[in-house]
Amino acid sequence: MKEYRRIYVVDSPESLPEDHIVLGAGEKASVTFLVFPGVSVDIPVAVDFTGEGAEVSLRGIYVCKGGEKVNIRTDVRHNVPGCVSDQLVNGIAAGDAHVTFNGKIVVAHGAQKTQAYQSNHNVVLSASAKVDTKPQLEIYADDVKCSHGATVGSLNEDEQFYMRSRGIPEAEAKVLQMISFLAPVLDDIEDASRKEELSAKVEEAIRSIL
Amino acid sequence: MSEILLKINGLHASIGDKEILKGIDLEIRKGEIHAVMGPNGAGKSTLSSVLTGKPQYEVTAGSIEFDGRDLLAMSPEERSWAGIFMSFQYPVEIPGVSITNFMKTAVNSRRKAEGLEPMKGAEFLKLLREKMAFVKMKPEFAKREVNVGFSGGEKKRNEIFQMAMLDPTLSILDETDSGLDVDALKIVADGVNSLKSPDKASIIITHYHKLLEYVAPDVVHVLKDGRIVRTGGRELIDVIESQGFDKF
Repeated sequence: MKEYRRIYVVDSPESLPEDHIVLGAGEKASVTFLVFPGVSVDIPVAVDFTGEGAEVSLRGIYVCKGGEKVNIRTDVRHNVPGCVSDQLVNGIAAGDAHVTFNGKIVVAHGAQKTQAYQSNHNVVLSASAKVDTKPQLEIYADDVKCSHGATVGSLNEDEQFYMRSRGIPEAEAKVLQMISFLAPVLDDIEDASRKEELSAKVEEAIRSIL
Repeated sequence: MSEILLKINGLHASIGDKEILKGIDLEIRKGEIHAVMGPNGAGKSTLSSVLTGKPQYEVTAGSIEFDGRDLLAMSPEERSWAGIFMSFQYPVEIPGVSITNFMKTAVNSRRKAEGLEPMKGAEFLKLLREKMAFVKMKPEFAKREVNVGFSGGEKKRNEIFQMAMLDPTLSILDETDSGLDVDALKIVADGVNSLKSPDKASIIITHYHKLLEYVAPDVVHVLKDGRIVRTGGRELIDVIESQGFDKF
C-alpha cells in the first residue's frame, strides 16, 4: 500500500507538471501546494479513486502581490464507493493579480458512501485584483456526503478595529488576520519542523504584499 | 479638584447620513467614575465608538481632548497606546488567533510605540496568568482563539482580562453588564474597582442599573436622543430605576 505525500513550493516562475494521482483500495494521499508572490503558474491536480476506502487531502495556498496569473484546477473522480476527498484552497490576491479556481468533483453512478468536500476561500486586497472561483460537482450516486463552499471577500473591518483598539497597528492587524486565514491549510502537514518552516515563509509572503 | 482627563466639547457625530450625537459636552476628571445611562438608540454606543475611533463614524463638529491631546487626530491604536480602553458590547471573534498571541502582539505593539523592547516571554506569561486568575478565567483559555465559541459571560470576562492586561488610564465599559449573571457581574465590577486610582477614570455605559450596584459612580449622565439631558449624582440611578427615561 502506498502513502503519497507531496508538498509543492512554487516560488519561482514555472508550470507544474500535471499531478495525476491514482489511488487503489485503502490508499492515502496528501498534496499541498503553496504559490508565493510574483509567480504565475498553472496547477492541475487530478485524482482517480480506483479502489474502495481510499482518501485524498488537497491543500493549497496562494499569495499574490499583483501581476500574477494563477490557475488552479482540481479534478477528483470518485469512481468507486467509500472514498473520501477533502479540498481546501485559501488565497490572498493583491494588486492586479488574477486567480482562477476550477474545482471539479465527479461521483460516479454506484460510488455510494462517498465523502467529498471542497472549500475555496479568497481574500482580495485591492479593487483591481480578480478571483474567479468555480466549483463544479457532478454527483450520480444518492448515498453520499458532499459539500462545497466558495467565497471571495475582503478582510473583516470589525476584527481590525477590535485589534487596533487593543493597540495593534492596522498593518499588524491585517497580518494577523491573513495568517489566521491561511494557517488552517497547513494544519495537516505532519512534519512539525517542515510545517514551521512553511508557516514562516507564508508569513514573510504576507508581509511582503502589504 | 483633580485634573481633567477627558473633555468633550460640542460633539456631533454621524453614521452614514444619520446624525446620532447632537452636541455632547462632558468633562471627566482623574479619579472619577462616570455612568452614562440612556434608553436604546440614545447614542450611547456611538459615543464609545467615537471615543475609540471606530472608522465608520464621522465626527461632524466638536472636539475631544484626552490628557491634553487632540483625541480625534489619533488612530484607534494611538488612542490605545495613550491609555484608552473599551470593553466591547459585542466582543469580536478572531478565528485562528490565540488569546496569548493576541495579547502579546497588543502589549508589545504599545512597548514598541513607547520605544521599549518586546516583553520577555517568561515575564509576559507571568503577567498573563496573573490577570487571567484575577478575572477567574481558566488557564486553558490562553490557547483558545479570541472569543471563538465563548459564551456571553466568557466574552465579557475576556474583555475585563484584556483591560487588566493593558492597564488603561480611561476605561470605557460599553453595556458590559448586559446578559451577565451575578457572578460574572461581580468579576466585571472587581475589575473596574481595582483600576480605580487617583490618576485614572472610567465611563460605564449602560441602560440598566445592575452593574452600578457594584461599582459606585461619582457622576451620572442621562443621554437621550444624542444629547446629555441631565447630569447628577447617584440619586439619578434610583430615579431612572423607578421612573424610566421618559421623564427626562
